[in-house]
Amino acid sequence: MADPRVAGYAEALFAVAAAEGDSSVVEDELFRFAQALRSDDDLGSTLADTGLPLARRLQVIEDLLGSRASAVTTALVSMVVGAGRAAELPAIVDAMVERGAASRNKTVATVRSAVDLTADQSERLAAAINTRTGRDVEVRVVIDPSVLGGVVTEIGDDIIDGSVRRRLNQLRESFR
Amino acid sequence: MTNRRTRLLAAPLLALLALLAFAGPASASGESVGSCIAEKLEELIEESHGDLDEVLHELHVDTSIGDHFEKKCIEAPSPILPETNEIIWGGSAFLILFVLMVKKGFPAVRGAMDARAEKIRSDLDAAEQARVDAQSVQSDYEARLADAKTEASRLIDEGRADADQVRTGLIAQAEVDAAGIRERAASESAAATAQAISDLRAEVAGIALGAAERVVHASLDAEVQGRLIDAYIDEVAGTDG
Repeated sequence: MADPRVAGYAEALFAVAAAEGDSSVVEDELFRFAQALRSDDDLGSTLADTGLPLARRLQVIEDLLGSRASAVTTALVSMVVGAGRAAELPAIVDAMVERGAASRNKTVATVRSAVDLTADQSERLAAAINTRTGRDVEVRVVIDPSVLGGVVTEIGDDIIDGSVRRRLNQLRESFR
Repeated sequence: MTNRRTRLLAAPLLALLALLAFAGPASASGESVGSCIAEKLEELIEESHGDLDEVLHELHVDTSIGDHFEKKCIEAPSPILPETNEIIWGGSAFLILFVLMVKKGFPAVRGAMDARAEKIRSDLDAAEQARVDAQSVQSDYEARLADAKTEASRLIDEGRADADQVRTGLIAQAEVDAAGIRERAASESAAATAQAISDLRAEVAGIALGAAERVVHASLDAEVQGRLIDAYIDEVAGTDG
Protein backbone atom coordinates (compact mmCIF):
# COMPACT_ATOMS: atom_id res chain seq x y z
CA MET A 1 0.00 0.00 0.00
CA ALA A 2 2.46 2.55 -1.32
CA ASP A 3 0.14 5.53 -1.85
CA PRO A 4 -0.77 7.17 1.46
CA ARG A 5 -3.83 8.78 -0.12
CA VAL A 6 -5.14 5.38 -1.30
CA ALA A 7 -4.40 3.91 2.10
CA GLY A 8 -6.22 6.77 3.79
CA TYR A 9 -9.33 6.38 1.68
CA ALA A 10 -9.21 2.58 2.16
CA GLU A 11 -8.97 3.00 5.89
CA ALA A 12 -11.89 5.44 5.83
CA LEU A 13 -14.06 3.10 3.75
CA PHE A 14 -13.23 0.19 6.03
CA ALA A 15 -14.06 2.25 9.14
CA VAL A 16 -17.44 3.33 7.71
CA ALA A 17 -18.29 -0.23 6.65
CA ALA A 18 -17.31 -1.58 10.03
CA ALA A 19 -19.31 1.10 11.78
CA GLU A 20 -22.35 0.25 9.72
CA GLY A 21 -22.27 -3.45 10.68
CA ASP A 22 -21.40 -6.31 8.31
CA SER A 23 -18.36 -4.99 6.60
CA SER A 24 -17.77 -8.15 4.60
CA VAL A 25 -20.90 -7.55 2.51
CA VAL A 26 -19.81 -3.98 1.78
CA GLU A 27 -16.33 -5.20 0.95
CA ASP A 28 -17.73 -7.77 -1.44
CA GLU A 29 -19.98 -5.24 -3.16
CA LEU A 30 -17.20 -2.68 -3.44
CA PHE A 31 -14.88 -5.36 -4.78
CA ARG A 32 -17.31 -6.34 -7.52
CA PHE A 33 -17.91 -2.69 -8.43
CA ALA A 34 -14.17 -2.11 -8.64
CA GLN A 35 -13.82 -5.07 -10.98
CA ALA A 36 -16.61 -3.65 -13.13
CA LEU A 37 -14.68 -0.36 -13.31
CA ARG A 38 -11.52 -2.20 -14.37
CA SER A 39 -13.34 -4.03 -17.15
CA ASP A 40 -15.42 -1.05 -18.35
CA ASP A 41 -13.25 1.85 -19.45
CA ASP A 42 -16.23 3.98 -20.41
CA LEU A 43 -17.66 3.71 -16.95
CA GLY A 44 -14.35 4.56 -15.35
CA SER A 45 -13.77 7.59 -17.62
CA THR A 46 -17.30 8.81 -17.05
CA LEU A 47 -16.99 8.74 -13.28
CA ALA A 48 -13.53 10.31 -13.42
CA ASP A 49 -14.57 13.08 -15.82
CA THR A 50 -14.65 16.20 -13.72
CA GLY A 51 -16.12 18.04 -16.68
CA LEU A 52 -19.40 16.29 -16.06
CA PRO A 53 -21.57 17.70 -13.30
CA LEU A 54 -21.19 15.79 -10.06
CA ALA A 55 -24.91 15.20 -9.85
CA ARG A 56 -24.77 13.45 -13.23
CA ARG A 57 -21.99 11.16 -12.09
CA LEU A 58 -23.71 10.45 -8.79
CA GLN A 59 -26.86 9.64 -10.70
CA VAL A 60 -24.92 7.08 -12.74
CA ILE A 61 -23.73 5.46 -9.51
CA GLU A 62 -27.24 5.45 -8.15
CA ASP A 63 -28.51 3.85 -11.34
CA LEU A 64 -25.85 1.13 -11.19
CA LEU A 65 -25.86 0.30 -7.47
CA GLY A 66 -29.13 1.61 -6.12
CA SER A 67 -31.06 -1.60 -6.46
CA ARG A 68 -28.12 -4.04 -6.46
CA ALA A 69 -26.01 -2.96 -3.50
CA SER A 70 -26.44 -1.74 -0.01
CA ALA A 71 -26.95 1.91 0.77
CA VAL A 72 -23.57 1.99 2.52
CA THR A 73 -21.80 0.71 -0.55
CA THR A 74 -23.55 3.26 -2.79
CA ALA A 75 -22.75 6.02 -0.35
CA LEU A 76 -19.08 5.07 -0.12
CA VAL A 77 -18.70 4.96 -3.90
CA SER A 78 -20.48 8.31 -4.21
CA MET A 79 -18.17 9.75 -1.58
CA VAL A 80 -15.01 8.65 -3.41
CA VAL A 81 -16.31 9.87 -6.79
CA GLY A 82 -17.47 13.12 -5.22
CA ALA A 83 -13.97 13.63 -3.84
CA GLY A 84 -12.61 13.36 -7.38
CA ARG A 85 -10.87 10.02 -6.77
CA ALA A 86 -12.85 7.85 -9.14
CA ALA A 87 -9.70 6.84 -11.02
CA GLU A 88 -8.15 5.52 -7.78
CA LEU A 89 -11.34 3.72 -6.69
CA PRO A 90 -10.20 0.18 -7.74
CA ALA A 91 -6.93 0.57 -5.84
CA ILE A 92 -8.75 2.05 -2.84
CA VAL A 93 -11.18 -0.88 -2.82
CA ASP A 94 -8.34 -3.41 -3.11
CA ALA A 95 -6.60 -1.78 -0.17
CA MET A 96 -9.86 -1.67 1.78
CA VAL A 97 -10.49 -5.39 1.13
CA GLU A 98 -6.95 -6.18 2.19
CA ARG A 99 -7.51 -4.08 5.29
CA GLY A 100 -10.75 -5.92 6.13
CA ALA A 101 -9.20 -9.35 5.61
CA ALA A 102 -6.26 -8.35 7.76
CA SER A 103 -8.65 -7.29 10.49
CA ARG A 104 -9.93 -10.87 10.44
CA ASN A 105 -6.38 -12.28 10.31
CA LYS A 106 -6.83 -13.41 6.73
CA THR A 107 -5.29 -12.77 3.31
CA VAL A 108 -7.21 -11.90 0.17
CA ALA A 109 -7.01 -14.46 -2.60
CA THR A 110 -8.12 -12.92 -5.88
CA VAL A 111 -9.63 -15.64 -8.03
CA ARG A 112 -10.20 -15.01 -11.71
CA SER A 113 -12.59 -17.32 -13.48
CA ALA A 114 -14.74 -17.29 -16.60
CA VAL A 115 -17.75 -18.08 -14.45
CA ASP A 116 -18.65 -17.27 -10.88
CA LEU A 117 -17.76 -19.78 -8.20
CA THR A 118 -20.43 -21.24 -6.00
CA ALA A 119 -20.18 -20.72 -2.28
CA ASP A 120 -19.12 -24.31 -1.86
CA GLN A 121 -16.41 -23.94 -4.44
CA SER A 122 -15.20 -20.76 -2.77
CA GLU A 123 -15.03 -22.47 0.62
CA ARG A 124 -13.27 -25.54 -0.76
CA LEU A 125 -10.83 -23.34 -2.69
CA ALA A 126 -10.08 -21.35 0.45
CA ALA A 127 -9.47 -24.57 2.30
CA ALA A 128 -7.29 -25.92 -0.48
CA ILE A 129 -5.21 -22.73 -0.50
CA ASN A 130 -4.90 -22.96 3.23
CA THR A 131 -3.71 -26.51 2.84
CA ARG A 132 -1.22 -25.54 0.20
CA THR A 133 0.14 -22.27 1.57
CA GLY A 134 -0.75 -22.46 5.22
CA ARG A 135 -2.42 -19.07 4.94
CA ASP A 136 -6.06 -18.39 5.87
CA VAL A 137 -7.57 -16.58 2.89
CA GLU A 138 -10.75 -14.87 1.78
CA VAL A 139 -11.67 -15.64 -1.80
CA ARG A 140 -12.63 -12.69 -4.00
CA VAL A 141 -13.87 -13.82 -7.41
CA VAL A 142 -13.25 -11.74 -10.54
CA ILE A 143 -15.17 -12.77 -13.64
CA ASP A 144 -12.63 -12.81 -16.47
CA PRO A 145 -13.77 -14.36 -19.79
CA SER A 146 -10.18 -14.38 -21.07
CA VAL A 147 -9.47 -17.21 -18.66
CA LEU A 148 -11.78 -19.36 -20.83
CA GLY A 149 -12.00 -22.08 -18.18
CA GLY A 150 -10.51 -23.06 -14.86
CA VAL A 151 -9.17 -20.64 -12.25
CA VAL A 152 -6.25 -18.27 -11.70
CA THR A 153 -5.58 -17.48 -8.05
CA GLU A 154 -3.40 -14.55 -6.92
CA ILE A 155 -2.29 -14.38 -3.31
CA GLY A 156 0.00 -11.43 -2.94
CA ASP A 157 2.82 -12.10 -5.36
CA ASP A 158 2.01 -15.82 -5.69
CA ILE A 159 -0.01 -16.99 -8.68
CA ILE A 160 -1.56 -20.41 -9.09
CA ASP A 161 -2.67 -20.64 -12.72
CA GLY A 162 -4.99 -23.52 -13.60
CA SER A 163 -6.73 -21.82 -16.52
CA VAL A 164 -7.46 -23.17 -19.96
CA ARG A 165 -5.79 -20.04 -21.33
CA ARG A 166 -2.49 -21.08 -19.74
CA ARG A 167 -2.74 -24.51 -21.23
CA LEU A 168 -3.42 -23.04 -24.66
CA ASN A 169 -0.45 -20.75 -24.22
CA GLN A 170 1.71 -23.72 -23.26
CA LEU A 171 0.48 -25.48 -26.35
CA ARG A 172 1.36 -22.38 -28.43
CA GLU A 173 4.85 -22.32 -26.96
CA SER A 174 5.34 -25.98 -27.71
CA PHE A 175 4.74 -25.24 -31.39
CA ARG A 176 7.61 -22.81 -31.50
CA MET B 1 105.98 22.11 -103.11
CA THR B 2 108.96 21.37 -105.29
CA ASN B 3 106.87 19.85 -108.03
CA ARG B 4 104.49 22.73 -107.89
CA ARG B 5 107.29 25.21 -108.21
CA THR B 6 108.75 23.25 -111.09
CA ARG B 7 105.43 23.31 -112.86
CA LEU B 8 105.12 27.04 -112.26
CA LEU B 9 108.53 27.64 -113.84
CA ALA B 10 107.91 25.25 -116.73
CA ALA B 11 104.69 26.98 -117.72
CA PRO B 12 106.27 30.24 -118.98
CA LEU B 13 109.09 28.32 -120.69
CA LEU B 14 106.58 26.24 -122.57
CA ALA B 15 104.76 29.44 -123.51
CA LEU B 16 108.01 30.89 -124.85
CA LEU B 17 108.73 27.80 -126.89
CA ALA B 18 105.22 27.87 -128.32
CA LEU B 19 105.65 31.52 -129.21
CA LEU B 20 108.88 30.76 -131.05
CA ALA B 21 107.47 27.73 -132.80
CA PHE B 22 104.20 29.16 -134.01
CA ALA B 23 105.17 32.73 -134.68
CA GLY B 24 103.54 33.99 -137.89
CA PRO B 25 105.48 35.29 -140.97
CA ALA B 26 106.49 38.85 -140.73
CA SER B 27 107.58 41.33 -143.33
CA ALA B 28 111.22 41.07 -144.33
CA SER B 29 112.67 43.70 -142.17
CA GLY B 30 109.73 45.01 -140.35
CA GLU B 31 108.95 47.26 -143.29
CA SER B 32 105.85 47.41 -145.48
CA VAL B 33 105.81 46.02 -149.07
CA GLY B 34 105.40 49.51 -150.48
CA SER B 35 108.44 50.86 -148.71
CA CYS B 36 110.40 47.80 -149.84
CA ILE B 37 109.44 48.37 -153.45
CA ALA B 38 110.22 52.05 -153.10
CA GLU B 39 113.59 51.14 -151.69
CA LYS B 40 114.29 48.88 -154.66
CA LEU B 41 113.17 51.54 -157.01
CA GLU B 42 115.56 53.98 -155.45
CA GLU B 43 118.30 51.48 -155.90
CA LEU B 44 117.40 51.21 -159.62
CA ILE B 45 117.23 54.93 -159.92
CA GLU B 46 120.66 55.20 -158.39
CA GLU B 47 121.95 52.58 -160.77
CA SER B 48 120.43 54.53 -163.65
CA HIS B 49 121.92 57.65 -162.26
CA GLY B 50 118.67 59.36 -161.77
CA ASP B 51 117.20 58.77 -165.16
CA LEU B 52 113.61 57.88 -164.53
CA ASP B 53 112.66 57.34 -168.08
CA GLU B 54 115.30 54.72 -168.42
CA VAL B 55 114.07 53.03 -165.33
CA LEU B 56 110.52 53.02 -166.56
CA HIS B 57 111.62 51.71 -169.82
CA GLU B 58 113.53 48.87 -168.26
CA LEU B 59 110.58 48.03 -166.12
CA HIS B 60 108.33 48.12 -169.13
CA VAL B 61 110.70 46.00 -171.23
CA ASP B 62 112.00 43.69 -168.66
CA THR B 63 109.04 42.37 -166.66
CA SER B 64 111.30 40.12 -164.67
CA ILE B 65 112.37 43.16 -162.67
CA GLY B 66 108.90 43.41 -161.23
CA ASP B 67 108.94 39.79 -160.35
CA HIS B 68 112.29 40.34 -158.68
CA PHE B 69 110.78 43.14 -156.63
CA GLU B 70 107.95 41.02 -155.55
CA LYS B 71 110.23 38.19 -154.44
CA LYS B 72 112.52 40.54 -152.58
CA CYS B 73 109.77 42.54 -150.83
CA ILE B 74 107.02 40.06 -150.25
CA GLU B 75 108.99 36.94 -149.06
CA ALA B 76 109.40 36.69 -145.21
CA PRO B 77 112.82 36.13 -143.90
CA SER B 78 111.92 33.22 -141.43
CA PRO B 79 108.69 31.64 -140.33
CA ILE B 80 110.10 30.70 -136.90
CA LEU B 81 112.49 33.26 -135.59
CA PRO B 82 111.14 36.72 -135.06
CA GLU B 83 113.00 39.76 -135.71
CA THR B 84 115.87 40.49 -133.43
CA ASN B 85 114.31 43.51 -131.89
CA GLU B 86 111.19 41.52 -131.08
CA ILE B 87 113.34 38.90 -129.39
CA ILE B 88 115.05 41.58 -127.38
CA TRP B 89 111.89 43.37 -126.34
CA GLY B 90 109.94 40.19 -125.77
CA GLY B 91 112.75 38.57 -123.84
CA SER B 92 113.20 41.67 -121.72
CA ALA B 93 109.53 41.82 -120.96
CA PHE B 94 109.52 38.16 -120.23
CA LEU B 95 112.48 38.43 -117.92
CA ILE B 96 110.96 41.41 -116.15
CA LEU B 97 107.68 39.61 -115.82
CA PHE B 98 109.47 36.43 -114.76
CA VAL B 99 111.49 38.29 -112.12
CA LEU B 100 108.38 40.04 -110.87
CA MET B 101 106.56 36.73 -110.72
CA VAL B 102 109.47 35.07 -108.89
CA LYS B 103 109.99 37.94 -106.48
CA LYS B 104 106.45 39.04 -105.89
CA GLY B 105 103.93 36.72 -107.46
CA PHE B 106 105.25 33.42 -106.33
CA PRO B 107 105.67 34.40 -102.66
CA ALA B 108 102.22 35.91 -102.67
CA VAL B 109 100.76 32.86 -104.35
CA ARG B 110 102.78 30.60 -102.10
CA GLY B 111 101.69 32.55 -99.02
CA ALA B 112 98.10 32.40 -100.14
CA MET B 113 98.46 28.73 -100.85
CA ASP B 114 100.16 28.15 -97.51
CA ALA B 115 97.45 30.10 -95.77
CA ARG B 116 94.87 28.20 -97.73
CA ALA B 117 96.61 24.92 -96.85
CA GLU B 118 96.86 25.98 -93.24
CA LYS B 119 93.23 26.97 -93.25
CA ILE B 120 92.31 23.68 -94.85
CA ARG B 121 94.48 21.88 -92.32
CA SER B 122 92.85 23.84 -89.52
CA ASP B 123 89.46 23.14 -90.96
CA LEU B 124 90.36 19.50 -91.23
CA ASP B 125 91.57 19.53 -87.63
CA ALA B 126 88.38 21.30 -86.56
CA ALA B 127 86.36 18.84 -88.59
CA GLU B 128 88.24 15.99 -86.98
CA GLN B 129 87.71 17.54 -83.57
CA ALA B 130 84.06 18.06 -84.40
CA ARG B 131 83.86 14.49 -85.59
CA VAL B 132 85.51 13.31 -82.39
CA ASP B 133 83.19 15.51 -80.37
CA ALA B 134 80.22 14.31 -82.32
CA GLN B 135 81.37 10.76 -81.85
CA SER B 136 81.76 11.44 -78.13
CA VAL B 137 78.30 12.99 -78.02
CA GLN B 138 76.97 10.08 -80.01
CA SER B 139 78.63 7.67 -77.62
CA ASP B 140 77.21 9.61 -74.74
CA TYR B 141 73.79 9.58 -76.36
CA GLU B 142 74.09 5.90 -77.09
CA ALA B 143 75.11 5.27 -73.49
CA ARG B 144 72.21 7.35 -72.26
CA LEU B 145 69.91 5.62 -74.69
CA ALA B 146 71.16 2.26 -73.46
CA ASP B 147 70.63 3.43 -69.87
CA ALA B 148 67.18 4.70 -70.79
CA LYS B 149 66.35 1.41 -72.46
CA THR B 150 67.62 -0.46 -69.42
CA GLU B 151 65.64 1.82 -67.10
CA ALA B 152 62.57 1.48 -69.28
CA SER B 153 62.96 -2.27 -69.31
CA ARG B 154 63.37 -2.26 -65.55
CA LEU B 155 60.32 -0.05 -65.11
CA ILE B 156 58.32 -2.25 -67.45
CA ASP B 157 59.41 -5.32 -65.50
CA GLU B 158 58.55 -3.63 -62.22
CA GLY B 159 55.24 -2.47 -63.60
CA ARG B 160 54.48 -5.92 -64.87
CA ALA B 161 55.46 -7.40 -61.50
CA ASP B 162 53.33 -4.84 -59.69
CA ALA B 163 50.45 -5.50 -62.06
CA ASP B 164 50.79 -9.22 -61.47
CA GLN B 165 50.89 -8.64 -57.74
CA VAL B 166 47.86 -6.37 -57.86
CA ARG B 167 46.04 -8.82 -60.08
CA THR B 168 46.90 -11.66 -57.76
CA GLY B 169 45.76 -9.61 -54.79
CA LEU B 170 42.55 -8.62 -56.52
CA ILE B 171 41.86 -12.19 -57.51
CA ALA B 172 42.51 -13.36 -53.96
CA GLN B 173 40.35 -10.59 -52.56
CA ALA B 174 37.64 -11.36 -55.09
CA GLU B 175 37.78 -15.02 -54.10
CA VAL B 176 37.55 -14.06 -50.45
CA ASP B 177 34.67 -11.71 -51.20
CA ALA B 178 32.95 -14.34 -53.29
CA ALA B 179 33.40 -16.87 -50.51
CA GLY B 180 32.04 -14.35 -48.03
CA ILE B 181 29.12 -13.60 -50.31
CA ARG B 182 28.43 -17.30 -50.76
CA GLU B 183 28.72 -17.84 -47.03
CA ARG B 184 26.45 -14.91 -46.28
CA ALA B 185 24.04 -16.03 -48.94
CA ALA B 186 24.03 -19.52 -47.48
CA SER B 187 23.65 -18.12 -43.98
CA GLU B 188 20.92 -15.76 -45.09
CA SER B 189 19.27 -18.54 -47.00
CA ALA B 190 19.44 -20.78 -43.95
CA ALA B 191 18.18 -17.97 -41.75
CA ALA B 192 15.41 -17.22 -44.22
CA THR B 193 14.54 -20.89 -44.37
CA ALA B 194 14.54 -21.13 -40.59
CA GLN B 195 12.51 -17.95 -40.36
CA ALA B 196 10.08 -19.25 -42.95
CA ILE B 197 9.79 -22.54 -41.08
CA SER B 198 9.33 -20.66 -37.83
CA ASP B 199 6.76 -18.37 -39.39
CA LEU B 200 5.01 -21.32 -40.95
CA ARG B 201 5.09 -23.18 -37.68
CA ALA B 202 3.74 -20.14 -35.85
CA GLU B 203 1.10 -19.73 -38.50
CA VAL B 204 0.12 -23.37 -38.25
CA ALA B 205 0.20 -23.14 -34.47
CA GLY B 206 -1.94 -20.03 -34.59
CA ILE B 207 -4.43 -21.70 -36.88
CA ALA B 208 -4.44 -24.86 -34.79
CA LEU B 209 -4.69 -22.94 -31.53
CA GLY B 210 -7.42 -20.74 -32.93
CA ALA B 211 -9.33 -23.83 -33.93
CA ALA B 212 -8.62 -25.47 -30.57
CA GLU B 213 -9.67 -22.33 -28.73
CA ARG B 214 -12.93 -22.21 -30.65
CA VAL B 215 -13.53 -25.88 -29.93
CA VAL B 216 -12.67 -25.44 -26.27
CA HIS B 217 -14.78 -22.31 -25.98
CA ALA B 218 -17.72 -24.08 -27.56
CA SER B 219 -17.31 -27.05 -25.27
CA LEU B 220 -16.97 -25.00 -22.08
CA ASP B 221 -20.50 -25.04 -20.84
CA ALA B 222 -21.48 -24.54 -17.22
CA GLU B 223 -20.98 -28.17 -16.34
CA VAL B 224 -17.53 -28.30 -17.84
CA GLN B 225 -16.63 -25.00 -16.18
CA GLY B 226 -17.75 -26.45 -12.84
CA ARG B 227 -15.68 -29.57 -13.36
CA LEU B 228 -12.64 -27.50 -14.33
CA ILE B 229 -13.02 -25.43 -11.13
CA ASP B 230 -13.42 -28.54 -9.03
CA ALA B 231 -10.41 -30.10 -10.67
CA TYR B 232 -8.43 -26.95 -9.97
CA ILE B 233 -9.46 -26.97 -6.33
CA ASP B 234 -8.45 -30.59 -6.04
CA GLU B 235 -5.13 -29.84 -7.71
CA VAL B 236 -4.41 -26.96 -5.35
CA ALA B 237 -5.36 -29.04 -2.37
CA GLY B 238 -3.32 -32.03 -3.52
CA THR B 239 -0.17 -30.11 -4.34
CA ASP B 240 2.42 -29.66 -1.66
CA GLY B 241 3.36 -26.10 -1.03
